[in-house]
Amino acid sequence: MGKKVLEVKDLVTTFRIDKKEYEVLRGVSFDIEENETLCMVGESGCGKSVTTLAIMDLLPNNGRVVSGSIKLNGQELTTMSSKERNSIRGKQIGMIFQEPMTALNPLLTIGRQMTEGLMLHQGMNKKQAHDTAVGYLEKVGIANPEDRMKQYPFQLSGGLRQRIMIAMVMAVQPSLLIADEPTTALDVTIQKQVLVLLNKLKKDVSTGILFITHDLGVVAEIADRVVILYSGRKVEEGSIETIFSHPLHPYTKGLMDAVPNVDEDDFDIRPIPGVFPNITEEIGGCRFHPRCPYATERCRREIPQEIELEPRHFVCCHKAAEEAAQGKEERA
Amino acid sequence: MSEERKKILELKKLKKYFPVRHGVNIKAVEDVSFTIYEGEKFGVVGESGCGKSTLGRVILQLYPQTSGACIYYGRTLEEMCPQYVAKEVAKLPEYQKKASEFYQKSLAIDKKAEALRVELDSLSALGTDREVRKEASLQKKLSELEFQSKELRKDASRQLREGSRTAGSLILCKELPLIQSLFSKALKETEAAAACAKKQREYEKQYEESRVSGKPDQAMKAKMDAAHTEAEGHVEAARKLRKQAWEYRGKDILPITELTLDPEYQAKLDGNYETGINLGKLTRNEMRDLRREMQMIFQDPAASLDPRQTVGKSIEEVFVINTDFPADVRREKTLELLEKVGLKREHYYSYPHALSGGQKQRVGIARAIALDTKFVVLDESVSALDVSVQAQILQLLNELSAEKKLTYFFITHDLGVVKHFCDRILVMYLGSVCELADSKELFHNPLHPYTDSLLAAVPRLKVGQEHSTESVLEGDVPSAMNPPKGCPFHTRCSHCMEICSQEKPPIVEKEPGHFVACHLFDKKKENV
Repeated sequence: MGKKVLEVKDLVTTFRIDKKEYEVLRGVSFDIEENETLCMVGESGCGKSVTTLAIMDLLPNNGRVVSGSIKLNGQELTTMSSKERNSIRGKQIGMIFQEPMTALNPLLTIGRQMTEGLMLHQGMNKKQAHDTAVGYLEKVGIANPEDRMKQYPFQLSGGLRQRIMIAMVMAVQPSLLIADEPTTALDVTIQKQVLVLLNKLKKDVSTGILFITHDLGVVAEIADRVVILYSGRKVEEGSIETIFSHPLHPYTKGLMDAVPNVDEDDFDIRPIPGVFPNITEEIGGCRFHPRCPYATERCRREIPQEIELEPRHFVCCHKAAEEAAQGKEERA
Repeated sequence: MSEERKKILELKKLKKYFPVRHGVNIKAVEDVSFTIYEGEKFGVVGESGCGKSTLGRVILQLYPQTSGACIYYGRTLEEMCPQYVAKEVAKLPEYQKKASEFYQKSLAIDKKAEALRVELDSLSALGTDREVRKEASLQKKLSELEFQSKELRKDASRQLREGSRTAGSLILCKELPLIQSLFSKALKETEAAAACAKKQREYEKQYEESRVSGKPDQAMKAKMDAAHTEAEGHVEAARKLRKQAWEYRGKDILPITELTLDPEYQAKLDGNYETGINLGKLTRNEMRDLRREMQMIFQDPAASLDPRQTVGKSIEEVFVINTDFPADVRREKTLELLEKVGLKREHYYSYPHALSGGQKQRVGIARAIALDTKFVVLDESVSALDVSVQAQILQLLNELSAEKKLTYFFITHDLGVVKHFCDRILVMYLGSVCELADSKELFHNPLHPYTDSLLAAVPRLKVGQEHSTESVLEGDVPSAMNPPKGCPFHTRCSHCMEICSQEKPPIVEKEPGHFVACHLFDKKKENV
């Protein structure tokens, strides 16, 4: 087992809406090791982006971390002052956003934006920073990096911009890279290019990657481990092989079934019935039970606890737990 | 591909350029031709900027086309008589006359040219300086005359081609005035049918009113049906009159030009004949009327709804604009629609912000199917939704199309979705058609290298195997302002040959119903 870069434990985050506090994250725990890509999957509103914002300390004014801990390289982040957090952001944690156009400053050249972080965090002088930036642009597969340094974001295509974002973040050599839906706005062909690049970089630089996406196909290409979130709670966690070969939680299964698979020939559209709950909705017991085909009285009453059914395969579901217990009894 | 299937839409060499500045255009859609059949789910895939959205909007005439035609068969000429058809029918003899005039002129010029040629022949025996100069000037004159004659002939055939749009090869007939009067009579019948339809709508309004109040007025319903039958009678009469006109086909053909007696040429003119409605030529009001049948559902459901209007009002607006139903009928119809698209009646009073993305998209769908919709353009309508919701919406669309016999023009970049949702798929690149085939065929036997690399780029739901990096497409899509010469894809194609950068590949039918525009297949066909 490698060194743990990030440990998140029982993270609870609330948002204040109309003078009421609503829990958005209801106790989420996971960790990321060096050289590992952890994918966080879920539908919009499940709390994946809020998790990243909590780690970065970028929550909007009405949001706050209530309890739980976030440790980066063993260092507790939640108790730090905002000044200390500021020095970590961009240096030890890098972030790539969904929309590369809005993440780059349209008024500054690529060179100016690339070197800024290097001079600030690594204390390089202009010349060193410039050379390092050019080197990283080359690394992410950009031809004529010297020319690109002088260009403005509007002169570049979406794929190139996203590459530049990646180069910019990697140049600072962060120990954790957070990528929030970095390929969602890109075309499939460009998405493939970016994914191939990220996979290559992961091998070169010892960084842990937290990759947020809702596309299970992308997960299959890039992840080592997967965390599935539903309405602010983790429902399942496991290595990519176990999640894809035998998902245990009914929600994970439903998600897998809902994706129109290009490799399958006969595919009936099998949606998960019902509507994704709003954070303001109070749902007792398992938050998935109104949409779950196997829901029982117990699911309505009791919040399922996280259990490790197989080594490093966690699930929060009464049904899965009961079945596993039965299986054990039978074997015994 | 069965030929009997009823066409609903046909695009002929459709082009759409957006002017940027003087002389510079963004060539968004370049020479696109294909046919969509009734009840079919037609998918269009391509990367952003390939012109798929523009194409959808041009079809609905939200953008005017630069050239080419967009012919709609959802209503026939017997059922609707746009103004342009009446004008064209009136102009038929003019076309014939002009064509003949142009041709006669060209013949006269030919005669002059012949005289010149004789003079030249007699000159060439001699050889003095002055004569050489004269010869040169005569030569120049001759080529000028030849050019003029050629142009006139082109004009003549252009006139005939224009006329053939409304009359096919009948434009060549001696009895054109008779044919014209038959056509005019047919148009009169169509007008009568339109009047009946109007009456029917009036009765429908009264019937709906009575139905909403709980006591359906059967007498009104009967009146409605009677009006409908009457309209159909007129349509049938119009059809008969047109048929009568067509009986003149091939009889008493005027020798307008040297080609007119050639049956092949006649067949070509017949091919120009439009039985559908040329959307580009409709007036604003006529197109507005057709929009009852041709609708669009957008990508971002939030942006397509007015945040300050309740869902009910948003849907009701369709009826306010297109019908004269009184308020309580509109309300009832809206409530019915809400239930039809899987929402609750209570949602009538909700504002869009209170709905989830999937629910908002359902409202968008409700608006699109509110009237007698036949053809719907779905522009990335499920792309912004989460997978589980996306599947729900696709299921709803499937149910609706089966129930109301809708035809979908489904624009997307998600290959997984098109594969399972659409019957036929068109692959576009930089405004041009790459490949068109049945969806199964396209996925099992992709021919165009671009289709190949698109398929390879789709993230698979498989783990454990090394994901191939070989067929990763390098580079970006070139600018549509200045597309590459020849095949638009040649700059990124791994099979690029000499010819690809020179000539644009024609579209060939490699297998029945499987069209591809690529020199790889064009060549093979020649060799075989």
